[in-house]
Amino acid sequence: MAGRTIYLDNNATTPVASEVLEAMMPYFKGEFFNPGSTYDQARGPRDAVETARERVARMLGCGSKSEVIFTASATEGNNAAIWGTLRANAERRHVVTTAVEHPAVLEVAREAARTGWRVTFLPVDSAGRLDAAALVRAIEKDTAIVSVMYANNETGVVFPVEDLARLVKEVDPAVVFHTDATQVAGKLPIDLSGRLRGVDILTLSGHKLHAPKGVGAMFVRRGTRWRPWVIGGHQERGRRAGTENVPYAVGLGRACELATTHLLEAVRLRRVQQRLERDVLARIPFSRVNGQGAERLPNTTSFAFDYVEGEAILFSLNERGICASSGSACTSGSLDPSHVLKAMGVPFTAAHGSLRISTSAYTADADVDALLESLPGIIEGLRRGSPYWDVARNAPKEGADVFVAGKYREK
Amino acid sequence: MPWDYSDKVRQLFMDAVAGKAGTHMGEIPDADGVGRHGSIACGDAMEFMFRVEKDADDPHRDRIVESRYRTFGCTSAIASSEALCRLLEERRLTPVEALAIKNADIVDYLDGLPPQKLHCSVMGAEALQAAVVDWARRRGVPSADLGIDPALLEEDEGRIVCRCFNLTEPYIRRKIKELGLSTIDDVTAAIKAGGACTACHHEPGGIQDLLDETWGGRPEPAPARPAAEAQKKAHRTPYQLAKEIERVLEQVVRPRLAADGGDLEIVDIRDRKVFCRLQGVCAGCAGARQTLRFVVEDALREAVDPEITVIEV
Repeated sequence: MAGRTIYLDNNATTPVASEVLEAMMPYFKGEFFNPGSTYDQARGPRDAVETARERVARMLGCGSKSEVIFTASATEGNNAAIWGTLRANAERRHVVTTAVEHPAVLEVAREAARTGWRVTFLPVDSAGRLDAAALVRAIEKDTAIVSVMYANNETGVVFPVEDLARLVKEVDPAVVFHTDATQVAGKLPIDLSGRLRGVDILTLSGHKLHAPKGVGAMFVRRGTRWRPWVIGGHQERGRRAGTENVPYAVGLGRACELATTHLLEAVRLRRVQQRLERDVLARIPFSRVNGQGAERLPNTTSFAFDYVEGEAILFSLNERGICASSGSACTSGSLDPSHVLKAMGVPFTAAHGSLRISTSAYTADADVDALLESLPGIIEGLRRGSPYWDVARNAPKEGADVFVAGKYREK
Repeated sequence: MPWDYSDKVRQLFMDAVAGKAGTHMGEIPDADGVGRHGSIACGDAMEFMFRVEKDADDPHRDRIVESRYRTFGCTSAIASSEALCRLLEERRLTPVEALAIKNADIVDYLDGLPPQKLHCSVMGAEALQAAVVDWARRRGVPSADLGIDPALLEEDEGRIVCRCFNLTEPYIRRKIKELGLSTIDDVTAAIKAGGACTACHHEPGGIQDLLDETWGGRPEPAPARPAAEAQKKAHRTPYQLAKEIERVLEQVVRPRLAADGGDLEIVDIRDRKVFCRLQGVCAGCAGARQTLRFVVEDALREAVDPEITVIEV
């Protein structure tokens, strides 16, 4: 394996920023006190958590810091958003979400469907876009919550959350609108008191924006019909029980502050993204960008390479020190390829060969150069070995998919 | 999950993809036996071929002298293919002797495979077997001489149990016996069956039933539906029921079919009978229309009402 690690998997997690780590350190030992305690020494940690809350609120552009709740993860936030809304609106029995959500929403919605709620999963088109009209039509008299992710973790496709939230409120202001903004925080500006006024609950995770794993935040707009999900303590104004994770909350606060400067990097990342996509599409035949044509995050590109398998691509990249990810079946616990690519109707000849590249403010242009140097050769090598590939023509064989599982004889 | 590959797997994969001397990725133009296994829809597929030194008097004495493969699949699938060719090269076997190479031999050669990757080695053994059957056909060797029950080969066409990977009941039964698989997890690890949507795990005639029938286990009683849910469902007016069926078909079933290039058109809904037309590429496969109908019916039964029947128009 090459000596240097080239990290291009920032949608999975990001390194903790030095500034963040530094801000956290005092709260492990010296200022370890429980912020809920009465003695003077607790004031330091208590103030630190409130300062952090203010920083998160500022990044989200929300009116009051009291609308921000610290959580342990976006997964917790998503569970709390959906179950907390369903519990507070017991007479409403319907949930609307999309087919391409992260499992932290998708599985919660499925669980709701198994336990007595009706759930609508909205489809997406081949570019991964959501049809706003379909969302409007999906809302029923007793819809409790609409949960739509802000940007997709696999493809980077951004949903027009601003419009969607507004439309939902037009149909029925009592429907709670939740958005999982995990992949957007730190990558696009968020303005909850401005254009995102229709969003009632927004959830995010710390470790996608250079804070550590194990901390997240949720925004719950004042007046939202929602009940706490984690109970058993007065912390976070009774909305999320459990002793405050002081150093991690501080870290998230600092990361949100840094995110403002990181947003300036978006222009560079967009340029890097364009170069990456242009080069790959030009140099590798039968390749595509999933979600092309849709609005996408500046840091995320999902490629699909016909007739090669994603796990083998990842392994080959990793042998050269490059870290990326794939929606291939072989890389997940399940044997099924990505539900996102399936929902977009990406043909299975390509869905198995997907490769996700995700950058961050800390990604150097040279990292992408290294990828561009290795990738065409890797794809070529794997295609040389693919039974579906005609090496001479450098194109798929005619009628390539003739293999039938579990049968000896040819069709 | 991090890679749990042995050094052997890593080495074989990297050498094969780099096309190093002594590796076997590629084709033999005038091969004497060609076998295929897997499907791109399932995530891996292998084409395997060998050339024999022909014995002038008796084809049984043909010796495999060269073998090649082309494999679409993950790291371990390619390494398994390479391992198979090396095993054959080292041993200079007759095709009939080569049938003794089982997936366990491939796993041993690779110094082990992670459990969820075992199916890669099974694919190698299956493709080899298919190639030997092909050789026998070309050389006029009676299939009885191969020691494979020809009935088993025929029977692999049959009722599809695992719909995601298109695996039939006879095939799954055969592999359960051959590989001594005792749990659903074993079956999934070895041949992928039940590895995606999991619907075939415990349904009637599903993998658990096949395991129970093979090993004499006792089928578990079907879990009773919660009374409250049945109550709720009973309260629907015919209009609501029809709307609900329509909704599930439109929002759940059609996108699912569409993912495989299929589609569905609702013709009529009369109480719990749903009349519909099924279309798409799947309609070409043997038995697929019937399977499609079951897919639609299962989805409706689970989401709307257990009494629903789907009638194809």
